[in-house]
Amino acid sequence: MNPARRHLLSGAIALATFSLAALSAQAQPIKIQWWHAMGGTLNERVDELVAKFNASQSKYVVVATNKGNYDEVINGTIAAYRAKKGPQLVQVAENTFMTMLLSDAVLPVQDFMTQRNFQIDWKDFVGPVAGFYSYKGKLMAMPFNSSTPILWYNKTHFEKAGFAKPGQTWQELEKQLYSIKQKGISTCGSSLAGDYYWSLLENYSAINDLPYATKSNGYQGLDTEFVYNKTLVVQQVARLKKWVDDGVMQIAGQGFSPEQLLTSGRCSTFVASTANHASIEANAKIDWSATYLPYEEGRTPKNSTIGGAALWVLKGSKPAEYDAVAAFLDFLVKPETQVWWHKATGYVPATDKAYQIAKMEGYYNAKPTREIAILQLGRGAPTANSTGFRWGNFTQTRFAQREEFDAVLAGKKSPQEAMDASVARGNEILRQYEKLNKGKY
Amino acid sequence: MAADGDEGLKRAHFKGVRLPVLLLLPQLGILLLFFFIPSLRALTQAFLLSDPFGNTVHFAGLDNFTQLFASASYRESVGVTVVFTLAQNALTIAAGLVLAFATDRIIRGRGLYKSLILLPYAIAPVIAGILWAFLFNPAVGPLASLLHAAGIAWDPNRVGSDAMLLVIFAASWKHICYDYIFLLAGLLAIPASLMEAAAADGARPLKRFFTVGLPLLTPTIFFLAVMNFIYGFFEVFAIIDAVTRGGPAGATNVLVYKVFTDGFVNLDLGSSAAQSVILMAFALLMTLLQFRYVERKVNYDA
Repeated sequence: MNPARRHLLSGAIALATFSLAALSAQAQPIKIQWWHAMGGTLNERVDELVAKFNASQSKYVVVATNKGNYDEVINGTIAAYRAKKGPQLVQVAENTFMTMLLSDAVLPVQDFMTQRNFQIDWKDFVGPVAGFYSYKGKLMAMPFNSSTPILWYNKTHFEKAGFAKPGQTWQELEKQLYSIKQKGISTCGSSLAGDYYWSLLENYSAINDLPYATKSNGYQGLDTEFVYNKTLVVQQVARLKKWVDDGVMQIAGQGFSPEQLLTSGRCSTFVASTANHASIEANAKIDWSATYLPYEEGRTPKNSTIGGAALWVLKGSKPAEYDAVAAFLDFLVKPETQVWWHKATGYVPATDKAYQIAKMEGYYNAKPTREIAILQLGRGAPTANSTGFRWGNFTQTRFAQREEFDAVLAGKKSPQEAMDASVARGNEILRQYEKLNKGKY
Repeated sequence: MAADGDEGLKRAHFKGVRLPVLLLLPQLGILLLFFFIPSLRALTQAFLLSDPFGNTVHFAGLDNFTQLFASASYRESVGVTVVFTLAQNALTIAAGLVLAFATDRIIRGRGLYKSLILLPYAIAPVIAGILWAFLFNPAVGPLASLLHAAGIAWDPNRVGSDAMLLVIFAASWKHICYDYIFLLAGLLAIPASLMEAAAADGARPLKRFFTVGLPLLTPTIFFLAVMNFIYGFFEVFAIIDAVTRGGPAGATNVLVYKVFTDGFVNLDLGSSAAQSVILMAFALLMTLLQFRYVERKVNYDA
């Protein structure tokens, strides 16, 4: 190769490299990380959601990563945050609200969006959803996947026993389940969900308008104390224990999913999240339906409370990255996105507009069970007992409660003894939290 | 512990200090990253009350420890761990001994027999745990329905002792092969002349095993007992997680599982760190005991 040609060639290469670099610098979109806990089919839905956003514009790219279950996501986030390598956006379960709120590691979402000039109709969020994630009148985290427990049931079992549908009260339902068992229609009236403490104790308390803890279930201060050992919750625990003893309720246990006890046609009912729609629709070999959670005879049922998770913005990133976060969150709460997510997963739409769209489309005529959660969440005006639950170390207090409930099932403690112990242990945990966070709430 | 012979060996190989230090560096680096730094952090965390993100931190003194010792669930966990480890220890060594002894008696298909016994070791603990949980699941498990058919009210979801039995069996099943290899090697190392002499004196195989084989195996059994303790204390996490998650009502909540749930599920880092410091101290103690007593008493020349 002669020198002149070589010179020309290298010049051309340099030029090409330079222009390529310039081009990519110009078109390089800003990347942000979103860590979430959506596994299985839900993970696929999240990937679709993110793909939609990434395709809708060219400035930003959201990278969504499944980091395991909620516990694993929060742990990973904490470790990453401490190493200053945290994601910009993280999905955190509803029970970790207080931990996030007082962590000094997050940016409250409503102010965050307002500062970046995104006009969001904050009043449009569904009551119990906004109520759970708001502090001093503003949303702290962006509601993402919200659910509530409903009563799933096997239609055939009920019809065979001569019942049109499950009764509205616990008393009626109990009679029906015992009758179904006596008639030999099914060996198991109800399958106990893994998150029964949420669906059958906390939500039970809210629906029946009973105080779970003082200070409006923790909304009015960190010095809140559990009081559910003095309410009908104790009776509810006794009822569940009786059902298990009589073989009317079954525990799926490790290595097996409680939902399968319903979908395989073994159990007649199952109290679980509306978010199970996706998997029940896909797996059920039975003629199933769903209805509202039962309430106590003689009481007026209130709204149930939410479960699921919200998206938190973590501190410590660059302004450009936060612009990307804001754009993505704005996309998320658009009614179209919400309607799509609602249909694809079974979670409730976070905003009333999204709900109205689905309703006008006639979606609920075809799928009436999809509306139950929304109607149940919106039933009546939320009271201090039904707005939600707000205390720190929530996972820890639930853990103590579960141990005590186990002790009831094992026959080691009476329901009253167990709930007394559960409340005592829970209060100790609350005091620990209060001590740590004094003056911050 | 270092005999004179060992020192001679060292002197013969290394003239200066530089080379041995250089050779030690990679190992020390690994220890630093995976042992010293985490231990130090656990040690400091154990004396703090902090929120998980580490933005609010109070010095707690010995609060984490006093609360731990005052807590009924921690004392329960200690009890559970002791029962679990002892039972698992006895079961694995006994089963390992029987199998090793039987290997000696088998002439045909010995290779197949040995591989079959070793198989569980190749199965990941979580998979093993899920298998056991499913087989003995009272609602759907085939072995559970056999138990029910036999009139046994088996329900590890509700009855603590059933759950305990289940994890003991699952953990032992997974670990028998480990003990088996050592015991078999131990048996094979016993000079044939001793056994033959006993046989010539008219001792039957079982008698030979108990009067000659077993006593000569004691060093191996001592070693295995220590290893089983360590296994029971520190390595059963995956099995517990898959089979019972520490339940019901904390009946199988062994210490190492409690460290995990308190720290990584409940986010109570201070208490979790205090617990791991105690566990660490215990591990140190075990290792010291092993070196001081077990190793010294072992007489490999028998």
